[in-house]
Amino acid sequence: MTVLGWALFKSSPRAEAQSSPSPSPSSEVFTTAHRTVLEAVREYFGIRSKPVQPIAYTHKVHLANGMQCTDCHVGVDRGPDARIPSVNFCMTCHQVIATDKPEIKKLAAYRARGEDIPWQRVYGFQTSAHVKFNHAPHIRAGVDCKLCHGDMTKQTVAERKVDHTMGFCVECHRQQKASVDCVTCHY
Amino acid sequence: MERRDFLKISAAGGAAAALEGCGNPDHQLIRFVPEEDLIPGIATWKPSICTQCPAGCGLLVRVMQGEAEVVRKGQLGLIKMGLAKKLEGNPNHPINQGRLCPRGQTGLQVTYHPDRIRTPLARTGPRGSGQYQEITWDDAIKQLVAQLSPLQADKKDGQVAFVTSPLRGVRKNIVNGFATALSNRPRTEFAFFDGSVSQAANFTSFGFDAPPTVDLGRSSYVISFGADFLGTWNSPVAQSIGYGTMRKGRPGQRGKFVQVEPRISQTGAIADEWIPCQPGTEGVFALSLAHVILAEKLRPGSAEGPASSPIEGWSQGLLDYAPEKVAAQIGTSPETISRIAREAAANSPAVVLIGDAATAHTNGFFNAVAVNALNALLGSVGKPGGIFFNLVWVPPNPMATLARLRNLKAVTEAYVASSIQDLAQTVSSNPNFVKLLLLYNANPVFATPQNWHVREALEKIPFIASFGSFIDETSILADLILPDHSPLESWLDDAPPSGSLRTIASLAPPAMMPLHNTRAMPDVLLDVAHQLGGDLAKALPWKTYDEALQAAFAALYKEQGSKAAKDADEFWTKTQDQGGWWSVEENTAPSAAEMMYGVPLKMTPEFDGSASEFPFHLLPYASQMQYDGSLSHLPWMQEAPDPLSSVMWGTWVEINTRTAAKLGIKQGDLLEVASQHGSLQAPAFVTPGIAPDAVAMPIGQGHTSFTRYAQDRGANPISILAPVTVSGIGSLAWSATRVKVSRIGKGKMVLFGGSLAETPAETKHR
Repeated sequence: MTVLGWALFKSSPRAEAQSSPSPSPSSEVFTTAHRTVLEAVREYFGIRSKPVQPIAYTHKVHLANGMQCTDCHVGVDRGPDARIPSVNFCMTCHQVIATDKPEIKKLAAYRARGEDIPWQRVYGFQTSAHVKFNHAPHIRAGVDCKLCHGDMTKQTVAERKVDHTMGFCVECHRQQKASVDCVTCHY
Repeated sequence: MERRDFLKISAAGGAAAALEGCGNPDHQLIRFVPEEDLIPGIATWKPSICTQCPAGCGLLVRVMQGEAEVVRKGQLGLIKMGLAKKLEGNPNHPINQGRLCPRGQTGLQVTYHPDRIRTPLARTGPRGSGQYQEITWDDAIKQLVAQLSPLQADKKDGQVAFVTSPLRGVRKNIVNGFATALSNRPRTEFAFFDGSVSQAANFTSFGFDAPPTVDLGRSSYVISFGADFLGTWNSPVAQSIGYGTMRKGRPGQRGKFVQVEPRISQTGAIADEWIPCQPGTEGVFALSLAHVILAEKLRPGSAEGPASSPIEGWSQGLLDYAPEKVAAQIGTSPETISRIAREAAANSPAVVLIGDAATAHTNGFFNAVAVNALNALLGSVGKPGGIFFNLVWVPPNPMATLARLRNLKAVTEAYVASSIQDLAQTVSSNPNFVKLLLLYNANPVFATPQNWHVREALEKIPFIASFGSFIDETSILADLILPDHSPLESWLDDAPPSGSLRTIASLAPPAMMPLHNTRAMPDVLLDVAHQLGGDLAKALPWKTYDEALQAAFAALYKEQGSKAAKDADEFWTKTQDQGGWWSVEENTAPSAAEMMYGVPLKMTPEFDGSASEFPFHLLPYASQMQYDGSLSHLPWMQEAPDPLSSVMWGTWVEINTRTAAKLGIKQGDLLEVASQHGSLQAPAFVTPGIAPDAVAMPIGQGHTSFTRYAQDRGANPISILAPVTVSGIGSLAWSATRVKVSRIGKGKMVLFGGSLAETPAETKHR
């Protein structure tokens, strides 16, 4: 059975689809969620690799220059997710600032090609956890960004400094006397 | 491996791919720079217009940021953009008042259809092979202009034909202006259910060439001759709302509803009384009711007014239509006719409707005129609880400019009247005459009888360009395809003639940005018109469709909008926010225009095929889900079970229970249905809801080319119809074909519930 399982995952056309020159965006073939069994196992046990970011963006420098989190992560106080700025947004400043730095040159190259930056996800819950998280009420309640995302003034690219386990969430909810009802988050 | 083991593996692996996905950015699809600012996770609702059927309901589209796989500059990648996620009815819109039917809900799938044409295409294989090569828009427009400009220079009338689905408002004006200015050939409008018989009858009886708006909500008694008014006929959502009010919305008063039709429709199934009449006797039935009312003086004298004048023998009291004389012909009892007549006269306001199969017999025009006279006699025309004819919004017309340019006295809307049958005949008899065909959303090859030879005729036209979004039976003949935006990606306007007592000018900006490399059809026409120049550019002075819309709404503001906004600009933005403009007042009394009478009425229906050789009437009907077959490419419509039979993903033949028993036919058996003009095969659906000498089939399936979901599925009853027309009108009499039925063997039919019976006989209790 396991052997067959291997075959099933190995023969997944997902990897091939990416190198194929055909512009047809959706595959007609059933694909598995993971390219390899290893990937599936890692997800099952919650083992996550360190994200590799395409540009070594430095939070430290930006914050030291007096910028606020919400200058770039717009909408965090209004909706479930904070916006990740597009390359156009970065270039409003970097058209003129620090244009000679290698990382900024990378940024300008993305813009010149008409591509956005393929940032990798750092945080986030697995779909199987059935957690719905909404930023806006937390911001309204005055929760400091730092509490869940670590001190960004000390980080370059964002790292997973805080482990978002259920215990972590519930503890804070208890302290703040926020609801700990299951359906507050799991629905 | 057992299924259970497989599920275990899937559970371990299948949860989510999103988080880690591909750890290395190099392995990812490229991301294009988003072109709009959106807050993730927050939905906005934008107004739009439903284009799934001619009713013209208002929509609200839920738009949210999402990631779409798109191709930009030949490269596949991801883009963050506002995507339409759900359609609902627009609560402000006077027609559907916040409601939406299943066909409307499915409009979403047009945009995301995997087989949508994503970029302009030029034919490479032989015509009809469906082999195309992707080209750029510059090339595509250059090709079209190169084809059109010698024809324009030629100045010979009628060399360019333009076949479209029914259009309204500014979109119609642009297409009409283009077709007429280019080669002085009227646009050919094609739809299988075009309502032309009812409209002609309304013109003859009341002076309105329009479908009626039915005020069901204030009615006390409703008789419907074949009109599936809660499913597909006229403006079903508006009528369903009115019907709800009639039945339950007025405490203590529940209106009665009688349906007269040989095959019980979705609407007939919830009537208080279903009277199965012989096909084609609806007009006789109506006049028999009128006879009883006249003879028993149940209504004040001469209440009917001029609407009765086309009917022979009316002034003598319709003696030939006495219930005893006609009941046998109709297939009911004289007592039933008298009782219905008395009930209708006593329960004022009473209203009578006619539509669908009742108007698709050779005597359909007579049937409709007879029903109009009965309506007039019952005093229900232009009265609360009756039928109304609306004042329709008419935007400024480029035809007027053309008339001025060419020194013509009048260029009227009658210019639109050439039919697909005329076009096919012209091309067949004179192959060199029509040099170029433009196609937009009409599929006459699918929806005309084989005997009209539409495909063969169109194949003779040297060059065909299509603006459609899908390759169907007609557009597969195209040499050049210039794909339109989906309705949700496009500016839209509409002037629905029925469904509300208000005058309506619907307007909607695009709800989302285009996913693919498509362009709006009116924009392409305007672009081509400017490149060609001459009268064409003068008649169509706007650069883009939205500019034309803005001009039309500025004119509307001048006429009507002073109450709605303080200036034309505010009116323009306000109507967009609201989904359109509608008059404050309801149109209550019709002012009858000039009547045109003189068409001889043919009373007796004729059927193609002898009764002895072809014992069954074939009654095709509009599929609740696929309408006339133009929605069969949407998987939700295929998957949705038919409300009466619960069949999904296929065609079926409805046959009476007793007839089936006599012929040894069981549920699901494969039948061959043959007319004089062809045959088809489909499984039997045995039902008591159909006359013993009739079989019925839903229209919609049997496509030979219409995306992966519709192609080679089921059978198309239109293909075996006889080429007989409605007398005096010329449109197809699609209920006038007789067929024979024989059992071939076991068939395959997917029923949602497995069976119609509440406890299926095959199910053993465990």
